[in-house]
Amino acid sequence: MNELMVIINIIGKETVRAIIGLIGVLILVVINALILTWAERKVAGHMQRRIAAKEVGPFGLIQPIADSLKLLGKELLTPVNVDKPLFYLAPVFIFIPVLVSFVVIPFDACLQVKDINVGILVILAFSSLSVFSILIAGWGSNNKYSLIGAVRSVAQNIAYEIPLLLSLLPVIFMVNSLSLKDIVEFQRGGWFVWKWQFFAFLIYFIAAVAETNRTPFDLPEAESELVAGFHTEYSGMRFAIFFLAEYTNIMIVSAVAATFFLGGYLGPVLPGFVWFLIKTYFLVFVILWFRWTFPRVRFDQLLNFSWKILIPVGFVNLIVTGGLLKL
Amino acid sequence: MVEKVKEALRIKIADINITEISYAERGYHLSIEAQKGNIVSVVELFEGKGFYLADLCCVDYVDYLELVYFFNHHKELCRSRVTLKVESDRPVAPTISHIYTMARWYEREIHEFFGVYFEGHPNLTYLFLHEGIDYYPLRKNQIPIPADDKKLLNSFKPEEEEDAFFINLGPQHPSTHGVLRVVIKMDGEYILSAEPVLGYLHRMHEKMAENRTYQQFLPNPGRMDYMGALNFNLAHVTTVEKLCGIEVPERAQYIRTITCELNRIGSHLLWVGAFLADLGGLTPFLYVFDDREQILDILEAVTGSRLTYCYFRFGGLYNDVDDAFVDATKQFITRLRSRFAMYEKLITKNVIFINRVKGIGIIEQGMIRKYGSSGPVIRSTGMPFDIRKVEPYAAYDKIDFEIPTGTTGDNMDRYMVRMKEMEISLGIIEEAIKKLPSGPFKAEKVPKKLKPPRGDMYHTVESPRGELGVYVVSDESDTPYRMRWRVPSFSNLMTFPALARGTLIADAIATLGSYDIVVPEIDR
Repeated sequence: MNELMVIINIIGKETVRAIIGLIGVLILVVINALILTWAERKVAGHMQRRIAAKEVGPFGLIQPIADSLKLLGKELLTPVNVDKPLFYLAPVFIFIPVLVSFVVIPFDACLQVKDINVGILVILAFSSLSVFSILIAGWGSNNKYSLIGAVRSVAQNIAYEIPLLLSLLPVIFMVNSLSLKDIVEFQRGGWFVWKWQFFAFLIYFIAAVAETNRTPFDLPEAESELVAGFHTEYSGMRFAIFFLAEYTNIMIVSAVAATFFLGGYLGPVLPGFVWFLIKTYFLVFVILWFRWTFPRVRFDQLLNFSWKILIPVGFVNLIVTGGLLKL
Repeated sequence: MVEKVKEALRIKIADINITEISYAERGYHLSIEAQKGNIVSVVELFEGKGFYLADLCCVDYVDYLELVYFFNHHKELCRSRVTLKVESDRPVAPTISHIYTMARWYEREIHEFFGVYFEGHPNLTYLFLHEGIDYYPLRKNQIPIPADDKKLLNSFKPEEEEDAFFINLGPQHPSTHGVLRVVIKMDGEYILSAEPVLGYLHRMHEKMAENRTYQQFLPNPGRMDYMGALNFNLAHVTTVEKLCGIEVPERAQYIRTITCELNRIGSHLLWVGAFLADLGGLTPFLYVFDDREQILDILEAVTGSRLTYCYFRFGGLYNDVDDAFVDATKQFITRLRSRFAMYEKLITKNVIFINRVKGIGIIEQGMIRKYGSSGPVIRSTGMPFDIRKVEPYAAYDKIDFEIPTGTTGDNMDRYMVRMKEMEISLGIIEEAIKKLPSGPFKAEKVPKKLKPPRGDMYHTVESPRGELGVYVVSDESDTPYRMRWRVPSFSNLMTFPALARGTLIADAIATLGSYDIVVPEIDR
């Protein structure tokens, strides 16, 4: 035991905490993806009046593990004409920002890898990196469908990053801090979604669905138009990593929404992280619900919606909040 | 109308052979023999009178080839057959593709199947066939394709240009409903031109018909259009019945009506699902399958199959329906009526859906005549043209029903027309069941081997996709001399290049979905 303490002292307590935290995050990411693949199938099934996965394990719970084993066992196909370095790099690149974002999210009052005082900036900065890897994947695939998907993705992400930011700024104004923990603690008097910032929540949530490329904003991978968009040429585990990243992104945007607007880990009786997970997964469920209800919007409608509705409303909300705070 | 056309033809073109034909016996009113010199002016005259080109086909009489043009009018029934004889050795005929755009595809088809060269046609390349075929398939004698003709057939090549790129939509693509290929020239997300490439599912049903007796051909039509198999089955059966003069008992007529309408509802339901899937909404697809399953169960009980039905026989049906069928159908009607409210909530009133389909893919009334479109595609433009009303077959003349029409002819109208048609079909079924007479379901004394008298017959039915015409030429043998299928999706799809030009790819795919194309039917 003493030796362990010595080692920890040599490396430094912060480093150990970061390593343990990152391992925890990695486990969380994988488990979350497993849960979400299962949940998506179940939600889709019940919304479409069918039973969905039920053969493997009770309620089909083992199904995602069977699926991932299948994907692991597949040959990693590389089409002949792809740009090899970019093609290999894209799945790696999409995964890193996803991991980093989890570092600053407070799962409970004391369950957080690191409370950075610019927490939300870290999340926003890293989540905008994922568009890079989509562009790389689309370009490297050397496929016209993939390229269109990638270009769409870039335009979409740029258009929706602005309302995303505009919807978070009023909350930051009110709390006067960028730390996620401070924001949660501020909500002890009442959640932001009920107090003051309901419109901000709506804008955030719509922009978040667009950021994660989910229906009705799933244009980069619009199946009926672009086959599978930027990941048309990917198969096996490389495809699985794109999938993993997508599901993790869904969780991150839901977690940020829960932290900013739904009071994070605050809640009576149950422990904090349970409340946090309930809130997060409720929002995740809503996103899944969208997918199985709505058709897809068209590209110009998508951009118009952002530039002509979300951004002006977001600005008005920001100015009103700022003005009221100054009064 | 018949008189008007006759008079106009007599005035404009001297020396032309016009015969008035008994519609009941042949299925058309006028027969006009044109010559190479005056065919273009005859066609121009029909165009000027507001006729549409229903069909253009060719019959090989060994000594000569006969091009057969069928014209009809949307407002007043006047089917006219114009024939043009061309020599059998290196046949040449003037093109009419500059008058009727649809003739472009018909002429390409005739060119590759018969070797008729159309002077002035812009693009006589392969439509259905491919390089590996060395003989003209539909000619009676084995005539090899000459080298220069093969070169002409093979000359299709999309031109590469700067600032534009080509994308092959299909033959394997989620939203081409089978194996249609569309070569799209794009500038960013905008489509500069779209050219459908057919023939991936071509099976030469027309040639098959020439080698089989009328009975042996019974299962084939259902394979052409697997969504409206019963309607295709009915088209074949009624054409031959009319040709042979077989009387069909009343009960069989009613049952034909009921089953065909069930088939139509099934087809439309699947279309709703597929259309929404094209727009990115996947859930309605499963909902409509739920409803369609009921139809399949009902039809399976009477016909014995679930998809490619072959239920009708010459002079009647394969077997009679029982009370269980009637009860199940009644139950289905109540069930589907209650489901329409749900579809309205889920689809029709969805803001995203409305924004995606309203004002997109507008087909104008002037256009449908040039292309000979039919079915819901033309009814959506506000033209109440339905074969069930204008040329009633089965028991449709004894049943009162209305024809739903749209106003603008956009994707939304096509959707609404089909939704309304399902409701009306339910009404037709209900009424037909109420009136269902008892009696035999099969005509007596239909010979085992049908040998229709010499002559030809054109007969149409309204398939879920539109006007389905069968042209049979009989030579008194037990196999048809020539059987021509005029399929609705073929001429509906032809409008796609015009509608897709200048639109976003997402809209083009929505428009392509709105036609309700069935590729095996186009390719035959």
